[in-house]
Amino acid sequence: MKKKGKRPVGKVLMVFTIAFFYLPILYMIVFSFNEGRSLTGFTGFSLRWYKRMLESRTMMEALYTTFSVALIATFVSTVVGTVSAIGLSKSRKVIRSIMEQVDNLPMMNPEIVTAIGFMLLFITFRVDKGYLTMLLAHIAFCIPYVILSVMPKIRSLDPNIADAAMDLGATPLQAMTKVIIPQIMPGIVAGALIAFTMSVDDFIISYFAAGGGVKNLSMVVYTMSKRINPSINAASTLMVVIITAVLILVNVIPILAAKRKAKDEMKKRRIFVPAAAVLAAAAAALVLFLRPGGSGKARPFEGQTLHFYTWGEYTGENIIGNFEEETGAKVVMETFDSNEQMYIKVANGESFDILVPSDYMIQRLIQEGYLQKLDRSALSGLDNLTDSVKNLPYDPENEYSVPYFWGTVGIVYDRTKVDMEDLEREGFNIFLDEKYRGDIYLYDSERDSFMMALKALGYSMNTEDEKEIQEAYDWLVRCVQTMDPEIVTDEIIDNMAQGRKALGLIYSGDATYVMSENENMGYYLPQTGTNLWSDAMVIPANAENPELAHAFINYACEYDGAYDNSSFVGYTSANEEVMEVLSGEGGDFEGISAYLPRTDNDKDEVFEYNENTRKLISNLWSRVKIAASNAK
Amino acid sequence: MKRFSQLAIPYLVWAAVMLVLPMALIAFYSVTEPGNSIFSFSVTLDHYVTFFTDPDFLKILWRSLWIAVKTTVICLLLGYPVAYFISRCGERLQSRLILCITIPMWINMLVRTYAWIGLLTEGGLIQRIVSFFLPGERELLYTEGAVLLGMVYNFLPFMILQINTSLCKMDGALLEAGSDLGANPAQAFFRVTLPLSLPGVVNGITLVFLPAVSSFFIPKLLGGGQYFLIGNLIENQFITVGEWNFGSAVSMVMAFIMMLLMAVVRRLESRNQGGEGEKNY
Repeated sequence: MKKKGKRPVGKVLMVFTIAFFYLPILYMIVFSFNEGRSLTGFTGFSLRWYKRMLESRTMMEALYTTFSVALIATFVSTVVGTVSAIGLSKSRKVIRSIMEQVDNLPMMNPEIVTAIGFMLLFITFRVDKGYLTMLLAHIAFCIPYVILSVMPKIRSLDPNIADAAMDLGATPLQAMTKVIIPQIMPGIVAGALIAFTMSVDDFIISYFAAGGGVKNLSMVVYTMSKRINPSINAASTLMVVIITAVLILVNVIPILAAKRKAKDEMKKRRIFVPAAAVLAAAAAALVLFLRPGGSGKARPFEGQTLHFYTWGEYTGENIIGNFEEETGAKVVMETFDSNEQMYIKVANGESFDILVPSDYMIQRLIQEGYLQKLDRSALSGLDNLTDSVKNLPYDPENEYSVPYFWGTVGIVYDRTKVDMEDLEREGFNIFLDEKYRGDIYLYDSERDSFMMALKALGYSMNTEDEKEIQEAYDWLVRCVQTMDPEIVTDEIIDNMAQGRKALGLIYSGDATYVMSENENMGYYLPQTGTNLWSDAMVIPANAENPELAHAFINYACEYDGAYDNSSFVGYTSANEEVMEVLSGEGGDFEGISAYLPRTDNDKDEVFEYNENTRKLISNLWSRVKIAASNAK
Repeated sequence: MKRFSQLAIPYLVWAAVMLVLPMALIAFYSVTEPGNSIFSFSVTLDHYVTFFTDPDFLKILWRSLWIAVKTTVICLLLGYPVAYFISRCGERLQSRLILCITIPMWINMLVRTYAWIGLLTEGGLIQRIVSFFLPGERELLYTEGAVLLGMVYNFLPFMILQINTSLCKMDGALLEAGSDLGANPAQAFFRVTLPLSLPGVVNGITLVFLPAVSSFFIPKLLGGGQYFLIGNLIENQFITVGEWNFGSAVSMVMAFIMMLLMAVVRRLESRNQGGEGEKNY
């Protein structure tokens, strides 16, 4: 079967395949230059998202982490891998075959298993998860790849070549660097390249092995993927450009070097030196460029670090930068998706200076002794806070907590699709109304989903009666089985702003954003009551810098900090003045009902913590999700 | 000479701590119940019993295996013809096409998966094309189809490259001999080419199936909040629920299934290589 002219089917298939591989990448690059925020309609060329990316600390730090970890891990794993491969090649056969199996572990195991292995290792031996643990993990999974790529080259060497060199008077070190290494150089370069790309590419292992606010770009994409954020595209495009540049460098440098060889210059290290020089220069430039700088004035907390653990997308644009500018401290911010996720880290002994949990979780943390009492004399902003958020049952005297945001949980609805009468008649039961089948969002929060069901059934959301909870469970199962809902978290925000569905369960602050983007959207609070929640700043018992934490709490309570937070995020400020300005005439959220929480319905409740019901609800909610998954 | 062997010693220590110990810890956590410290624990098999007696968990396991099978079959059906086509091209074109397929693999998998969201979401390019041909409101994102697409997209290159490698290694003279002996093209393909490319097919299947079973960010990004695969279950246990012992047990189950499959594949492969050896004589 020699070439028989054209192969139309094959060609079409080939074109289709290549289009398939490149379409998403091109799409991403194109939309990184989009003027608008949309990922679906191109409205004009702009560099706005690149600017946004350069201004975003999270992203710049992530890029810095990604590439500095990759460079160090590549260097270390290449050196160690090469030396070990040479050593192993001269070792006894037993050791060699054992090591082959061991090296296979990270390659053959599912990546997630390797990743949790690292996580358990660091946690068991009380190594604080952070930059260093991420680096160690990267080195650990890169070395086997280097060995794998160097080993065949060593095998193909004449085994006597080193002996010959030493017989001729070379020291073992000379024999290695002058004889063995130049011969296996292609294998080393290939190994280094694999290590570099594996490290830059890695998500799963970093996700489990890093901590303390250290994130690489993949982790940022993963945590930000719920909201439309074209600066992710900008950062990704930058990654594509860098990786392509590295690939070209690696492919071109040997060619250039070969040409130089003809000129008989630079006899030694002809490949390595230019390659290393270019890489090092690029790395240094990048590191200098990305490194967060600081000025040298004498400020109260110069050089200190605040570990701040809060919800994703929960701080204003400038508050962190301004606080750093003013105090000289560095804020390391880490974010969580749920109270439960935060609890695990805290209970696990990770140290933070400030947390922003919700009411019932604060109660739990107090009960279990994870928080320290605040130093009232060091707090200045308490008088600014609105009365509705003070002295709530989870912390009656506000001994441990200072409120940050507060609000309700309600129904966001599209006025053009939903009949107001249905809402008023049915309340939360509208989520069982088949008229809206396939047109609803549920929120992936065990607490608030059960709140909705319990309130729909007319019970208290703090019920401890297992029969009532069971009924609520049946209500939710019925909902997921008959209504074909989508269970989402932050995805609801952009999707409702674009009017994708008719109804959704939503937090008031997110509803504020949705309504300010789309005037057809309304926010409804059922008369049967809802969750009147608040999130507050607390200081863990094991905080390393409580003094700085107090300073930050004050900063966030004051007008400027609170205004920045609330106007940017859309959640209701605990600062009374900010709340009034933003909702008042000419304020950002004038006329948006979701911004001002309802305070006059006595069926509204605040969550309380109860270990038994928590476990039950947590368990039942995962059942509801599985039921939803199986209903599709 | 012997002196060089000492160079490996630091790495032996490192590998023991960083590669072997973590696996041992997972095994340890999977059969223990937490005490107050790591020194007080009790041994139990409860976590495994929970996993294997609960129909919901088994369903998740089953779904993960099933979608991995589907991914593998699609990759094979798409990948084989493509690899075959590439191997029939001239040498220059061949290496260019291989490069074309390799480049996307160098770009971050998560980033590429994320890029699909814009294409599949309502109003996105693919969604519009699909709804043009199949009118009626249709959701593409957050469906099982989207997860399948994401997996095929991410893992197809492995399949193509593996099959292509083994097709290229094949001795062209065998085909000529076949047709000289009277085989028509179809016969030559099914009796010569296909059997000789089997090692590549087997490798490709492993490289697609294994990551597909354990993947957790593809289902999370493209399948939405209510789409659970075994990888999501593990992530969930470690990150949100905090049941490390149970999570470790699930990981062990998954690692064990993988090892079993690998062993089967190796067996197939070695049998196959045996066959190849015979043909060479």
